[in-house]
This record gives sequence, C-alpha cells and structure tokens, in this order.
Amino acid sequence: MPEYLETTVDKFIFRVATDRVYSPEGVWALAEGSRVRVGITDFLQQRNGDVAFVHMKPIGTKLAVGDEFAELETIKATVSFFAPVRGTVVEVNTDLELSPEVVNQEPYGKGWLAVMEATDLEADRAKLLDPQAYLSAMRSQAEEELKKQ
Amino acid sequence: MSRTATYHTTVRWKGEHWGHLVMGNGPEMDFSAPPDAHGHADVFTPEDAFVAAANTCVMMMFIWATERFKLKLLSYECRTEGTKLIELDRTEIFTRLHFRPVIRVAADGDSPSVVEARVRRALQSAQKYSLVANSVKSEIVVDPEIVIEP
Repeated sequence: MPEYLETTVDKFIFRVATDRVYSPEGVWALAEGSRVRVGITDFLQQRNGDVAFVHMKPIGTKLAVGDEFAELETIKATVSFFAPVRGTVVEVNTDLELSPEVVNQEPYGKGWLAVMEATDLEADRAKLLDPQAYLSAMRSQAEEELKKQ
Repeated sequence: MSRTATYHTTVRWKGEHWGHLVMGNGPEMDFSAPPDAHGHADVFTPEDAFVAAANTCVMMMFIWATERFKLKLLSYECRTEGTKLIELDRTEIFTRLHFRPVIRVAADGDSPSVVEARVRRALQSAQKYSLVANSVKSEIVVDPEIVIEP
C-alpha cells in the first residue's frame, strides 16, 4: 500500500502517492523493473467525474512521451491521457471494461490503466515530477480553477 | 467556463391564500398551499415544487447519464415521494425524498447483468450530479425497478 501526501483545496481532499512520479498533466508512472505501470491521479479522477468507459491503446502500441495512450469517457467529459515515458504497451487493465468506476475508487491501485515496457526509463523518469512537486503543481492548478468565476 | 450560474423566479400575492409564479424559463401559474395547510386543491404548491424540482432534475441528469453510459433507454417513469417532518418547535422539514424509478432499457447485444450494472451506475451518477438532489439536505433514497428488454 503506498503512502500519500494530501492537500485540501476548497472542500476537496486530493491525495498523491509517494511511491511514483508524475507528468505535469497528472499521469502517474510507477517503475516495476524495466516496466512502468501508468494511471491517473486522484485529482484527475475527481476533476473529470464518474468514469463510464475506458479506451486504451492496444498491447504492442509504441508510444513516445506525450502520445495519447488512453481516453476516458466520464459523465461530464471525454478526456485523453498521454504517455509519461517512451515505450511499448505490454498490458492493459481489462478489468476496467466491466468496472470502469474502479478508476474513481482506486486511482493509484486497481484503477491503473496500462503497463509499458520503457525504452529509456531512467532518462524519461528524470523529466517527471516527484510527488511533492506534483502536489504543488496540482494544488496551483486546482486553485487557478477556483478563481474562475 | 464560469463556475457560477443564477436562476430566478418571481412570486406575487393575489389575495387570500393565492399567489402567481413566473419562472425564469418562461412558464407561469397560480399557486397556493396544500389544503391541509390552509391552501387550495388542484393547484401548484411549494411542497409539490420541491419534490418536483428533485424529481425532474434527477430525471434530466439520468437522461444525460444514459447517453454518456451508452444505454438504449426505452422508457423512464419515476414517482417520488417527499416526507415532511413536523418538529417539536413546529418547524417543518423534508427529511426524505424517496425515488421509485421504473426504467426500461434495451440490452442491445450486451448481457442483461452488464446492462443492469451500467443502469445502476448511471442512476448513481444522476443522483450525484443532479444540481437539485445535490443541494437538498433531505435523505435521498432511490429504489429502481430496472427492466432489460432483449
């Protein structure tokens, strides 16, 4: 079980797992040897609403950093998510076909989206945000949203 | 995207226990209190308005949810009952809103259990994202009857 950093913005509590790194857009990457498990943050799942469908690039798809690897259809929006590292999709979370709500319930656990075989994990990981840096960026983004009237 | 929006209605006293309501979206009608509260029968009342606001809002949100969850909705009808409690100090409160939607959807090639699970998630989302249901402090209970047509 990962440990979490936590921040409260308005009435919302957002958690950031401390055992992984993050793209500025809120895709997490958890190293597992040469492979990387990826998913979305608690902030992104709360921000986008109840997930209705998850579409992922098929196994074997080669991705560069920033390529779309998943699309989530939620009650409020259809949102694309982009690869945080270079590599090839080697596994997708097929449980989400029947239970997409797990992305909302366990974004850092059973709600993972895909596993990638990374091309150069060390180089790509160095460009991602550590949990504290992501927490700060996410908090700023949430506060910016609150200011929009 | 603006984070706030406003809606308005105007009421005017017509004498005795009668009023006239003009809604921001256009319709207007006379209203009164229920007969058991010194009002009149067969007219719109605040009690009906409260229950109707929740019932209509949840339905509209459910219609939206069925589209997002790609459900083929065949029919929807919901009787909703609001329970009023008269407190010791004679103030009154709606403590509970009980929704009983009857929902028919087409299986459309999917297994009935998968479709039913999607209908239940759509209902939960409808309640969660309904502006009115989200705004009331009454307990909300939803007892659906879901029929999956082959």
